[in-house]
Amino acid sequence: MVLIRRYFIFALCFSVSVLGFSVAALADSEKSTDHAVQEHHPSEGHPGSYEAPLPVELSTNPDLCAYVPCHDVFPNADYFSPRKGRPSYVEAYRNKKHGQLENGHHEDADSRELIGYAFLSTDIVDIPAYSGKPVVTLMGMDVTGKIVGVKVLRHSEPILLVGIPEGELTKFIKQFVGKYAWDKLEIGKARAEGGYIGIDAISGATVTVISENQVVMRCAYEIAKQVGIIKAVPRPQAKFTSVLAQYSWDALLAEGSIQHLMVSPSDVGMNNTGKPYIDLYFGYLNAPAIGRSILGERNYDGLMAELKPNEHAIFIIANGAASFKGSGFVRGGIYDRIQVSQDMDSFTFRDTDYRNLYSIKATGAPEFSESAIFIIRSTSYSAAYPWSLVFLGNKMDKQTGTKTFANFDREYWLQGRYLEGGRPVVVKAEPVWLKIWKSRIWQIVAFTAILIFTAVIYANRDWLVRRSSRKDKRWVSIPKYAIWLASIGFIGFGLMAQPSITQVLTWFHSMLFQWKWELFLSDPFIFIFWLFIIISVFVWGRGLFCGWMCPFGSLSELFYKIAGKIGLKRFQFTPNSVLHERLKWLKYGIFWGLLAVSFFSMGLAEKLAEIEPFKTTFLVGLFNRSWPYTLFTASLLGLSLFTERPFCKYLCPLGAALAMPTTFRWFGLKRKQECTTCSACAAGCGSLAIDKQGVIDHRECMLCLDCMILYYDDHACPPLSKERKLRVKSGLPLTPINAAGYYIPIYPVPLKGTDE
Amino acid sequence: MKPTIHDNNPSYAEATGIKWLVYEMVDHLWPWSKEGWRHHKAIQTAGLALAVAATVAWGLAASGKLGASAVIGWWLGWSIYEIVIRLQCKPYIKDGPWWGHHYRPAGRMDMICYVMFKNLLIGAVLFIVLRNLGLLQMVN
Ligand code: SF4
Ligand code: SF4
Repeated sequence: MVLIRRYFIFALCFSVSVLGFSVAALADSEKSTDHAVQEHHPSEGHPGSYEAPLPVELSTNPDLCAYVPCHDVFPNADYFSPRKGRPSYVEAYRNKKHGQLENGHHEDADSRELIGYAFLSTDIVDIPAYSGKPVVTLMGMDVTGKIVGVKVLRHSEPILLVGIPEGELTKFIKQFVGKYAWDKLEIGKARAEGGYIGIDAISGATVTVISENQVVMRCAYEIAKQVGIIKAVPRPQAKFTSVLAQYSWDALLAEGSIQHLMVSPSDVGMNNTGKPYIDLYFGYLNAPAIGRSILGERNYDGLMAELKPNEHAIFIIANGAASFKGSGFVRGGIYDRIQVSQDMDSFTFRDTDYRNLYSIKATGAPEFSESAIFIIRSTSYSAAYPWSLVFLGNKMDKQTGTKTFANFDREYWLQGRYLEGGRPVVVKAEPVWLKIWKSRIWQIVAFTAILIFTAVIYANRDWLVRRSSRKDKRWVSIPKYAIWLASIGFIGFGLMAQPSITQVLTWFHSMLFQWKWELFLSDPFIFIFWLFIIISVFVWGRGLFCGWMCPFGSLSELFYKIAGKIGLKRFQFTPNSVLHERLKWLKYGIFWGLLAVSFFSMGLAEKLAEIEPFKTTFLVGLFNRSWPYTLFTASLLGLSLFTERPFCKYLCPLGAALAMPTTFRWFGLKRKQECTTCSACAAGCGSLAIDKQGVIDHRECMLCLDCMILYYDDHACPPLSKERKLRVKSGLPLTPINAAGYYIPIYPVPLKGTDE
Repeated sequence: MKPTIHDNNPSYAEATGIKWLVYEMVDHLWPWSKEGWRHHKAIQTAGLALAVAATVAWGLAASGKLGASAVIGWWLGWSIYEIVIRLQCKPYIKDGPWWGHHYRPAGRMDMICYVMFKNLLIGAVLFIVLRNLGLLQMVN
């Protein structure tokens, strides 16, 4: 016994040190790769792209391929041009003559042939992945529109750092090679209708792969369209009604015929100055009522006379620190801060598309410092359908100084009364999170059913514990064990929906800095699980999740129970109360430590959160990781054979985070007066949650309900048992036990006719 | 569940309706008590100074002159002080549903959890309001 206790302390210390070692080793290996990166090439020789440092000039320098390994996506190219176009791309050339060239940049253009285009995702789209940050991807596409290479330069996806090997990501992106820019790819099985091509997901990283699919295909499409591989598809043009009235500015704004787009300095990573970065209003001018109201009769007629069929005019006025025309604009160039997008098409403006706008005729229009009329010349644009004005900004990361492309847009859709036949029916693309929910609907239903079942069972605990006794706890244990099995098998291994402290840290940050519902909705199981956890913690305390539903907690306690049944009971022990009282604070320290670290570096906090063995157990598999992780998890599970839930009691930061609000749980467990002196429940409490005064520490309690069974058991609860014996001895009936845990008292009823 | 010790109950525990709600709200925002003041004058005075400093920090944040990390730092410092002072002045916390009138004596951990959680909520509300007004300089 003593030996085992020593093993317990040793194993706990060992587990923590193994983890410390592995995290240090991980950090070390990262350090050395960081160094290698700086010494050589920004991305070459970089085995891991998690938070890989990228050069500050990456988003701005014309020579893109001096900073990223373009040869990795175009191995047979001999020369890459400077950045071109908007959004930008580089052209890849091969020498017509064979032989090594000394300096490709000075080679004669005639001796080269164009073989394709290379482009960087952050130049084209602004699609965040699970971490809320983009996966920076370099792509190559040949002149026929076929994708020939894809390489991830940097990502911030925690799951690919500590859970799923990065090789999985490499395998995933290889699936894009050979696909065409216009292909419709979907994660999972190909759908029969609609011509979709299915590609394999990375299990456990659904959100990452869905967003990466969007990134790659959207970028390829944009560039293919820009270089003329994909031809413009005409849209049915709008026919205007003859509404001729003129409206005030406010009326147009209220009905949505003028839209407002504001970008604050903090949106682009700058310090607040009290002034917006840009504050602009815009609207569509061809519709007679709007055009006349904004420009006045004469100017409107003049503008319309100038426009050819299928040409459209929009106006923009703006205030703010930035200019929508852009300071770099030169005659003959492209306005690079503004564009119009409609579905997958985008329309940029050249100086020939610009007209002066001197004043707004609509009454009540605001003052402005900048104004313009732009002309869209494309049959692919139609005012009958929704479109967006996009302000193209650069967002600066204050920590690294790197700029990433960030766009801000506002939708515009002409009112139905200005369109003959009203607005056409538009089927909008579903948001990514909704697609995920729909694709997993049956699993979501089953998962929700398990949660509801658990809540209903626990809400009826009084009924269950009254039917149980210390010797026969089946009423409680059968549903609980069933829930444990569902939780381990279905929720843990099947859905990989083990909640984690990293999610709590992400919330803290999102709450304080930027809340994105899409981010949380993108994992339906974790989202629903957290709703359940938050509600149940405030209603009953953390015990319902920890004691009944947590996949790892259930696995750990199941190990303990099975070990007891297969003959290891004599080796099983409970840590002594002095040691327990000291060690239980460790988990709170770990939680606060992680929270503090996360404010300085989320990446480091995520690495340190490896103290949770959840990823090793459920997401990656015990034997799919490097040995320190496997050893750490195996030690914890091994220890669980001999003592109940060692990880939950002393190390789990998630348990600690949930224990704190448990202080305010609405409904606690029952106690009676005698509990203060009787230690029967305390002796049977596997969580060591009952102190010498009989007080339950709800933060430590796993709601196993053992003490509640005792509370009503007149053969086990000492005061109740005493009362039972007394009543039996004196021939009094055994009345039912009331909610306070006592026999309903017997009051003698005075006989009729006797003197009061 | 600890049996309620009525000596530790706040004086307004028996009040009802709006009056009780107002008392509750003041109690959440004001950690000092007359009783505590008499016994711990020095620590109370230091606390008052800290409270003023924390309020000024929020004020500066509201006028766009203080970064988010500085506000978090101040708020954390204040929260630690509030735990200490509440343990001396108002050593009880609510027991059971928030709409109930049961209180229990607060242990150290109870108080840490109560203050941290309450201040997290207050902080988050102020933070979100300031950020949406575009007044707070974000660190991220
Ligand atoms: S303490 Fe941690 S591992 Fe244990 S049940 Fe709770 S969340 Fe799960
Ligand atoms: S015996 Fe009672 S106090 Fe202990 S864990 Fe079970 S329910 Fe909680």
